[in-house]
Amino acid sequence: MTPQPSPFFDPGAQSVAGSLGVLQLKRDHLIPAILSASSDSDYAEGHVENTRFGSYPHSTLLNQPWGTQVLASVVDTGSRSSKSKKRKRDEGDEGENGGDAPTAKAGQSKSEVVKAERSRSEVVKAATASSGFAHLVPPTPETWTLCLPHRTQVVYTPDYSYILQRLRVRPGDHIIEAGAGSGSFTHASVRAVFNGYPWESNADEETTAKKRESKREGHVYSYEYHAPRAEQLQKEIASHGLDSLVTVTNRDVYGDGFCLDSEDEPNADVIFLDLPAPWQALKHLTRSPPSPAVLNAVSDASADASDTPQPTSKPFRSPLNPKSTTRICTFSPCIEQVTKTVSALRSLGWLEIGMSEIQAKRLEVRRERVGLQEEGLRGANPTAATVQEAVQRLRDVEDRAKAFHGLQKVKQDQVMRRAEAKKRGEKTAAATSETNGKSGAAKAKLDALPPSKHDRLERAKRDLERRALFKEGRLVHRTEPEIKTHTSYLVFAILPREWSREDEDKARKKWG
Amino acid sequence: MHSYVRPNTHIALRLPSGQLKIVEIAPNTNINLGKYGTFSSNQILGRPYYLTFELLDKDDGKSSPELRVVPASELHAEALGSDYAPPAEATDESVPAEGATGFDIVGEDGEVIMRNNRLTVDDPSRQTLSMEEIEELKKAGAGSGKDIIARIMASHMGIEEKTQFSLAKYTLRKSRKYMKRFTVLPLDIGMLTEYVTEKEAYKIMELREETLGLICSWANVHCASSSRILTAEDGVSQIGGGRWLVVDDTGGLVTAAMAEKMGILYPPTEEEMEGSEEAEEAATEAAPQEATLTTNVPTETTETVESNGTQDVMVADTEAGAASTTQNPPAETSEPRPSTRKPRQHIPQMSAQANTLTVLHPNNQPNISHLKYFGFDTGNPVPTHPLYTHLKSVSWLQLLHPEEDPSYIEPETLTDDALANLKSSKRGNYYKKRRRWEKTKRVVDETRAGGFDGLVIATGMETKTILKEVIPLVRGGGKIVVYSPNAEPLVELCDYYSKDRRAAYIAREFGPQQNGTSKKMKTEPEDDEDDEGTNSTENGDDDDDFPVNPTLLLAPSVQTARARHWQVLPQRTHPFMTSRGGAEGYLFTATRVLPVEGKVEARGHGRGKKRKVGPDAAVPS
Ligand SMILES: C[S@@+](CC[C@H](N)C(=O)[O-])C[C@H]1O[C@@H](n2cnc3c(N)ncnc32)[C@H](O)[C@@H]1O
Repeated sequence: MTPQPSPFFDPGAQSVAGSLGVLQLKRDHLIPAILSASSDSDYAEGHVENTRFGSYPHSTLLNQPWGTQVLASVVDTGSRSSKSKKRKRDEGDEGENGGDAPTAKAGQSKSEVVKAERSRSEVVKAATASSGFAHLVPPTPETWTLCLPHRTQVVYTPDYSYILQRLRVRPGDHIIEAGAGSGSFTHASVRAVFNGYPWESNADEETTAKKRESKREGHVYSYEYHAPRAEQLQKEIASHGLDSLVTVTNRDVYGDGFCLDSEDEPNADVIFLDLPAPWQALKHLTRSPPSPAVLNAVSDASADASDTPQPTSKPFRSPLNPKSTTRICTFSPCIEQVTKTVSALRSLGWLEIGMSEIQAKRLEVRRERVGLQEEGLRGANPTAATVQEAVQRLRDVEDRAKAFHGLQKVKQDQVMRRAEAKKRGEKTAAATSETNGKSGAAKAKLDALPPSKHDRLERAKRDLERRALFKEGRLVHRTEPEIKTHTSYLVFAILPREWSREDEDKARKKWG
Repeated sequence: MHSYVRPNTHIALRLPSGQLKIVEIAPNTNINLGKYGTFSSNQILGRPYYLTFELLDKDDGKSSPELRVVPASELHAEALGSDYAPPAEATDESVPAEGATGFDIVGEDGEVIMRNNRLTVDDPSRQTLSMEEIEELKKAGAGSGKDIIARIMASHMGIEEKTQFSLAKYTLRKSRKYMKRFTVLPLDIGMLTEYVTEKEAYKIMELREETLGLICSWANVHCASSSRILTAEDGVSQIGGGRWLVVDDTGGLVTAAMAEKMGILYPPTEEEMEGSEEAEEAATEAAPQEATLTTNVPTETTETVESNGTQDVMVADTEAGAASTTQNPPAETSEPRPSTRKPRQHIPQMSAQANTLTVLHPNNQPNISHLKYFGFDTGNPVPTHPLYTHLKSVSWLQLLHPEEDPSYIEPETLTDDALANLKSSKRGNYYKKRRRWEKTKRVVDETRAGGFDGLVIATGMETKTILKEVIPLVRGGGKIVVYSPNAEPLVELCDYYSKDRRAAYIAREFGPQQNGTSKKMKTEPEDDEDDEGTNSTENGDDDDDFPVNPTLLLAPSVQTARARHWQVLPQRTHPFMTSRGGAEGYLFTATRVLPVEGKVEARGHGRGKKRKVGPDAAVPS
């Protein structure tokens, strides 16, 4: 059986079992899930993604065209207790191996899923809930970065986009990445170097025999010295169908460098170092053995004293592709790290050294509504929108006040008159009818007046129903409420191909 | 990526002033750097990129100057000042260096201990060497620019007063002017962007490198050469396959950046990957032969056509070639480098099914002239270039009203008998016409069928009119990216996809049926408004309110990113003091989705339980 293409590069027309899908609930709220058709789950409905915005059984997510809006289902989350307890325990056991990576859902190995699929019992068809929906989207490095299980700080889209662009990473390149951390950069870089799977070119010998010779498959060489992290990443990579394109190595690159067992690996064109002390890794990234003087200059006394490489008998091997221009980027949050890195780069003969930082932000777009019509409504500014509106409102208030005072006076008069009449011992009935008449007239007068605050609020609420808020107000934009003002400093440099006297002589002969 | 300079490619030379000069490098030609001097192309051909060369004046003053590779240690020493000169590398011996580490002048004054800037007088008159004298020195060819700088420095009376700090600055400033140096750089997307930005930023809509990277990320652009060719649910149209739609007003820079990520921007470089010296040798020797071969292609092809009848064969787009008579013949502009020496297979232009770019353009031909820097001349494309088959173009007329485009209308078919009676030139013409039509029809039809993986727009056109037509051509889960130099157009676009507007749209589409049965409008105020809208107004008004279908995009967002560049020198690390202003550059991003048909959306939103009741009840299940 040929392996399936990765859903990151070729998701197909619709979601399939055993493959990663992403449930997008809001812009930044996404849930990754290896979709499963099996009933081996706590729920009668089979595997379920439970979210704040409803429950989504995998049965409703499987074999759906990508981009489908999926309605939430009614899932009995109460009756799973006994089953779930057992499940929890199982997961706990697994978690121990997984170290500090509790959210292993997306990282479940394929075999696990396949095994689960074999179980016989039927998955209960889920009933559509009365509310809640989500969208099923194929995974991309961008969506993955937003929902991956965080084990470390990660490199986000604005940074990795610029890094990969500026490093001129292209399909077919070999890239070294250390430390792998949570694998955010891993996914972005494998997309950048991808130009086919190794198993592809092995498949149809005849047609590609010629091509294969010349075609170099892009590859990511990822190093991580934290064993559980390396393991976890390896699992994720496998479940994402990327294992033939990414080699995860559990290693301390400060001490042990980057060379792998195979002679032509990593053979790197590009290097990305997201490590606390990149300068300590740089001495391993040379084309020829660095001189003791250079090594001395590069190693910082305290940390490096012990692991200054002893003159070993091992023959020197460069992890770099001798036929290409090597490009490097180091990613460090502090300026002191930059200084050290840059000075090491200079000593080791790197060129075009530069440092940049990326400042990215998103904009909030909304309509800002201002005006008296907004009184009592939410999300708007109910002050007068214009001077005219303000003046009108002041007049209205004055008019009402006047009328009100008038009314008050009438009332007072009445009371006075009644009191006088009482004093005089007259009948009150006539007085009452008289008053009624009078106050009625006053009321009518009031109705013609500008509305009371209470009336205005009522009216605003009523009017709201016939207003088209989506096009009212002024369209404005502003920076999102929270921004990352600093991620890290990006140091870039270039190491040209080596150029020897002989090379120069040869070139002279060839070109005259 | 090329790691060394190849003949007949475009390269960039960075001059001491920091300026870039782009050269199409042909063997045996002189490259003139103006005041910095002239050298022969042969002196840098075959040499690695990113080397810095110094022009050494010849004593005889006649032959072209020697070039010296300036070693990294020397470059760094100059930048740092003597205190911080890094140790010379072991590998330096291999470089034809002349032993000098750092500037003589800086070296001599190295002992000068830190002094106060206060005593330094910045007065041009204190430089005793006059401009004329400097010119004289240069004419006399007194060695490299370094000597001149040394002399100027020596003659500078206040030199001892300078602190190490300002001395380094001074050295640098002088070197910009007098150093006869240049650095050879590959012309790639980053370099081209920098080059155009400096001269005519408006031509690329002021795109910056960081924005290009962001565009490609959000559009999920990648190499899809191994993607499956899948058919959509309709059983006819293709879905996916790594195909992107592009609207490009940047002269092809966006297209090129995407093509680079897809692995189809550069002509194939097998030999380089192969790596063996012999292969390289062979390739370079083959180059001249190759050129003649290319010129032969048309005749060759025509013959094939005549003998094979309607076989799907393309001449190197002859109609396009005719349209651009000002272009150079292919042998000169292109870099033909086929992997085999055999007569090449005849593959129709724009015929690739996966890993393709389809450019939508407002004129008869797309303006993607920047591709010429990558060996692809749209007026006269070379069949060996990957873009020949992978880059397609469709005009707006062809997309929306194909039957009005003459090239879409099928030319008459002749019977075999009639054909046999034609003169061979006429027959050739006949086939040419049919092939042109076949190409147009194929490309237009497949584009109209949709199923694209993404859409990237960088244009001055009204984007809403584009999205209205093109969003339906993007597959579910596909990515949409719109670039604009300014925020306003994208802010407006975002507003057309706002939550409120979407709710109003849905209410308009599906609301009326419910109105009879329930009183939901209480919680869905938009209903009322829209009833009025539908009842009383024409389509025109609706179009104003809903220029696009707001339910087709998920998570519309606007963002921007800017790289801030720093100077990194010991004790002198800080952001550069000035940089380019102008357009900030924004991106609109979203995902194409397939909304639930005919249903009012329901949500269990965290905005409070109360609101939930209304819309929920409105969900027909
Ligand atoms: C900030 S994280 C990298 C995050 C990653 N770039 C991402 O985008 O997800 C740094 C990682 O480097 C690893 N690391 C630190 N020193 C290392 C060393 N000497 N060798 C290998 N890995 C190392 C740490 O364990 C940590 O996981």
